[in-house]
Amino acid sequence: MALKRNVGLKGIKYRGGGPMLAWALHRISGLAIVLFVGLHVISSFFMQQLGSDIATALNTVYESIYFQFIVIFIVLFHALNGLRVIILDLWPQLIKFQREATWLQWLIFIPTYGMTVTIMILNQLQGG
Amino acid sequence: MEVTLKIFRYNPESGKKPHYEKYTVEAEPTDRVLDLLEYIKGNFDGTLSFRRSCAHGICGSDAMRINGQNRLACKLLVKDLHGAQITVEPILGLRVIKDLIVDMEPFFENYRSVLPYLINDEPAPKKERLQSPEERERFDDTTKCILCACCTTSCPSFWVNEKYVGPAAIVTAHRFIFDSRDRGAAERLKILSGQFGVYRCHTIFNCTTACPREIEVTQAIGEVKKAIGTGSLE
Ligand code: HEM
Ligand code: SF4
Ligand code: SF4
Ligand code: FES
Repeated sequence: MALKRNVGLKGIKYRGGGPMLAWALHRISGLAIVLFVGLHVISSFFMQQLGSDIATALNTVYESIYFQFIVIFIVLFHALNGLRVIILDLWPQLIKFQREATWLQWLIFIPTYGMTVTIMILNQLQGG
Repeated sequence: MEVTLKIFRYNPESGKKPHYEKYTVEAEPTDRVLDLLEYIKGNFDGTLSFRRSCAHGICGSDAMRINGQNRLACKLLVKDLHGAQITVEPILGLRVIKDLIVDMEPFFENYRSVLPYLINDEPAPKKERLQSPEERERFDDTTKCILCACCTTSCPSFWVNEKYVGPAAIVTAHRFIFDSRDRGAAERLKILSGQFGVYRCHTIFNCTTACPREIEVTQAIGEVKKAIGTGSLE
């Protein structure tokens, strides 16, 4: 008897390198965004309709600067990586520059994220 | 140098569960992983089973997962693995029959589904169906495929569902779709636009990294996607 077809965890251990990691992060970030937006909707709803302790607690989490750092990281990564995938899908002749595309993606990501975080920290310090 | 091979073992007749077996062998840096497997089979355990035929990277028999990546054992030198331990496992997403041998049937079923042969009912010219060098160049990259399955069994979409035709089948479809002598493009594009066709590809690039023939697999898939999207082979 042949063994059952079974990939499971072995797939995660496959050494696909950077491109595979980008895909995994894209999927995780997509799901994370769904969670954030869901949390946002729920916390606003509670705030408006009930104004209860739960609402305050949810909003405290949602509005905390650390949470926002993570949200911005994830949304920005998802957006830029998504744009890379879209551009490569529309112009397949560019796929041979996949490595350069990934470099470019991070070249845009780092200053954009860095600037945003800097501004947020400065605002926070000014009690903004 | 001394290297240790950690090899996935499974014998359906022994009733034992799959496990890993370690073998320490003396190797030259220029030895190929296939040489070490042959050595182990010849000297330690004759029951060790794996496919190989040409031993020169052209028949496509000996795709296996070596240190976590799909490679041809006959093309991979010990020195390129940079380490004294080499892990050898069967490729993923196909049923293991014995040791490193997997059931390739689902892979070939996918291959057959894209009509992997020249389709042209027009009467054949006296000599040959002429083609310009440029027309030939258009699909040159995808003619290099040896059907080793390194690509398809590295693809997360294929791991999830073996009905996804997979990169190898799309590479072959590409080879005929963009051949100026072929007339079956529309039919193939229709097949590949289906539920288990090109849109299961999420541009992950594992296939391209894995291909021992250095075919730009993801690009070929991209070109097929575009042909489906635009309805044009330009
Ligand atoms: C900011 C602009 C955005 C861009 C450019 C973008 C782009 C993309 C692209 C191209 C894909 C397909 C990836 C693939 O083929 O594997 C995708 C998948 C996905 N996106 Fe977005 N997206 C954006 C915003 C969002 C938002 C706001 C959400 C959630 C509310 C979201 C959730 C998802 C999910 C769940 C997936 C599926 C993951 C997957 O297929 O791997 N995205 N996105
Ligand atoms: S590029 Fe497409 S076919 Fe290749 S590994 Fe990724 S999902 Fe699979
Ligand atoms: S495209 Fe490359 S990896 Fe895939 S079957 Fe052909 S030769 Fe093997
Ligand atoms: S044995 Fe033929 S490709 Fe490796």
